[in-house]
Amino acid sequence: MTPLPRFLVRRFAHAVPLLLLVSVLVFLLIHAAPGGPLEIYLANPNVRPADIERLRRALGLDRPLWQQYWSWLWAFARGDWGYSFSDGRPVAARIVERLPATFELVAVSLAGALALTMPAGIGAAVGRGRWFDRAVTTGSMIGVAIPAFWFGLLLQMIFAVSLGWLPSSGRATPGDADLVDHLQHLVLPAAVLATVLAAGWSRFLRGSMIQTLAQPFIIATRARGLPPPRVVLRHALRNAVGPLIALVTVDAALLVSGAVVTESVFAWPGLGSLFTEALARRDYTVLMALLMLSAAAVVVFNFLGDVAHALVDPRVPAA
Amino acid sequence: MLTNRSLTIAVLVAIAVAPAGCRNRSRSGRPSNELLIVGYDREPDTLNRFSTHILEDIQTCIVEGLTTTDEQMRVVPLLAAEVPTIDNGGVRLRGDGGMDVIWKLRPGVTWHDGTPFTSADVKFTVDAINGPAYNPESTDGFDRITVVDTPDALTAIVHYREIYAPYDIQFIRGALPRHILQGRDIDRAQDYNRNPLGTGPYHVVEWKSGEYILLERVAHYWRGDDYPKIRRLLFKFIPNTNTRINQLKNGEVHVVALAPWDKYREMTAVPSVVIAKTRGNAYEHVTLNERQFPPFADVRVRRALISALDREGYTRTILDGLAPVAHGPVQPVSWAYSDRIAHYRFDPAKARALLDEAGWPVGTDGIRTRGGKRLAFTLITQAGFAIRESVAQAIERQLRDVGVDVKVELHDGTAISAIWFEGRFEAMLHWWQMPSDPELTTFFAADRTPPAGRNINYFRDEALTQLLYASDRTVDRAERKRLLERAQAIIADAVPEIPLYTVTRLDAVPASLAHFKGNPTNTGIFWNVHEWEITR
Repeated sequence: MTPLPRFLVRRFAHAVPLLLLVSVLVFLLIHAAPGGPLEIYLANPNVRPADIERLRRALGLDRPLWQQYWSWLWAFARGDWGYSFSDGRPVAARIVERLPATFELVAVSLAGALALTMPAGIGAAVGRGRWFDRAVTTGSMIGVAIPAFWFGLLLQMIFAVSLGWLPSSGRATPGDADLVDHLQHLVLPAAVLATVLAAGWSRFLRGSMIQTLAQPFIIATRARGLPPPRVVLRHALRNAVGPLIALVTVDAALLVSGAVVTESVFAWPGLGSLFTEALARRDYTVLMALLMLSAAAVVVFNFLGDVAHALVDPRVPAA
Repeated sequence: MLTNRSLTIAVLVAIAVAPAGCRNRSRSGRPSNELLIVGYDREPDTLNRFSTHILEDIQTCIVEGLTTTDEQMRVVPLLAAEVPTIDNGGVRLRGDGGMDVIWKLRPGVTWHDGTPFTSADVKFTVDAINGPAYNPESTDGFDRITVVDTPDALTAIVHYREIYAPYDIQFIRGALPRHILQGRDIDRAQDYNRNPLGTGPYHVVEWKSGEYILLERVAHYWRGDDYPKIRRLLFKFIPNTNTRINQLKNGEVHVVALAPWDKYREMTAVPSVVIAKTRGNAYEHVTLNERQFPPFADVRVRRALISALDREGYTRTILDGLAPVAHGPVQPVSWAYSDRIAHYRFDPAKARALLDEAGWPVGTDGIRTRGGKRLAFTLITQAGFAIRESVAQAIERQLRDVGVDVKVELHDGTAISAIWFEGRFEAMLHWWQMPSDPELTTFFAADRTPPAGRNINYFRDEALTQLLYASDRTVDRAERKRLLERAQAIIADAVPEIPLYTVTRLDAVPASLAHFKGNPTNTGIFWNVHEWEITR
């Protein structure tokens, strides 16, 4: 066995007990939340207590909690994610149909955020104290402070309602969805996510770059007469980017689990809106699957982050 | 990095092409008889009308009942040739205390696949709902049916083991197609539940989860090829209220169903849209839980509380004149409504006098106290409704003026359902959407406290309970109305809860839409969608 696969096996074997622990915790947490999947039925006065009891039995909610957990875990481990309490469809199908929209939004937002972060963070650090730095610092403070839902609605008002340039929400125009239409629908939600992410990341990169640029080896490279872009991009950036990678991977894992607020404002059919809906209806099976996916995403993205860090910075061992 | 770079380029391209590409696209298309777009606040769980616990707006376009309720909440025939009554011989009361209802079906109706709609479908529906294999939302009424006879294809005789007054809306949700569902697990029949076979004017073309449901007119609707007038209906799911209104302004949607009241003024400013107001069959009220807060058991305290509230003032100011004051659980739209009941005016002096008389003198902190116990309770309500939160604050303020201390607590929708079902609250501000049949038993009969019913006031009045059960066993409408009028008078007199206002349903629809009638019940505004037409 080559070192990398062995490392992989070890890495993911460690994740198993972690995921088990997470499953117990989230199972207890979602059951501790007041109400349950049947509460939504109560609004209908024709639904009587006998109906509630019948449905409770049908969904297996009348069994002790540990039994419910155990049967969920046993089925989940064998790849049977169960049926949604809300619409009776297989949980896996409900999740899979949301993946394209989720990945599309995440990929474009991350790319957009990186495209904003790199020049902003590096430029601000290099020109520390000058107008560009002040502009970046002020902009990122505003970006961090601004609530995503408000920013999203603001962009809608400007670009959809006032100017009429872009659709206000949704993923595509039903029946008229070509590539341009898809891209137009992506612009506003991706812009919101990219701005919010870049605001935090660029501050981080700026700080990390300022520290690195003050280190003796940078002074040495400058003394050797290397051109400034090479000093900054090849030597300083590779040293400074490590912490940013860690941050990006955590944010990416969270985004994959669903950009809850942004998806809700823009009616984006990703995992975030599925999570909001499942939470409101206490759809336990869907919630469990989404939260486990979320935990798994953190594990996977952390690993990817470590690999990326090792590739960028040769001092970091791959294992 | 290559991937990121190409995605970055894609974003930049998107930003660049956005202004250029969109002005001539169909996004801002006006409503037409080709396409009407509805902005809807929620996605249905299923289109099976017997399984859903969401409003049935979309389902009513596809699946029709034997009867439906019209804009004035009258029960009118749809797939039935007429509504069975005692007078037309459609209802027979049996000597053993049971009853038979004879449904004559409309001839010439077929399911969308061309199969005739017959009494066998009605029988199959009852058997499926009462059978062990299927889990519908409710079996109410069906569980009182012993058997359905089908002497011919267009006659279904439904035998009830006891008298069931709301028999006329028993099949308001239609019927399940026997030839599609017989022998199948209906809970898991996703082909049907996502794309039901109906007899209605539309069928499902596409359901894209999290995005929309697209309906298209069926080829040969039983009312004739002139109906429906609009070719396609698109229901877009937009949970965020502000986004929904933005889409209305932008022309991306043409109809906003169930528009929130606090957006009323904003919506009236949208040109080419009118706001249809439908006086509902729901009423906002304050439930007073006598079990949890014993001072509510004193009728003088309850009358004091209702007299301390300026309900006219709330409707004028907070509600912007959109809703009238309600005086009881039966609303004016119902045939059983009675106005000959006690009305309570805003009269703080009377409220103070009643509380003094009930033995609650004002304490040193301005709050009334008896035996060391303050007249203080918590009022819970659902978070996220701006108007309701304002009303809760007004109640808090006005009750404090007469020496009653109220603390307002907000909960999310699911949590609040659990709380009220278990009766774990002192007072609650909320509304009931009442059934179109004026059955009050589950809300006020003494033996219908949770979990047996929805008497969450825990109010007990034997005379009222007897009247309510008697009305449930009365099919003759005039006699039933007399019983229910007496029940309403008792309720108004005893004030087991504080009625605030009749809920008005708001729907933003195109000004060019003809034959929109609205509907005060859960049947929803699409009950006559076959008539809808864009006129210019």
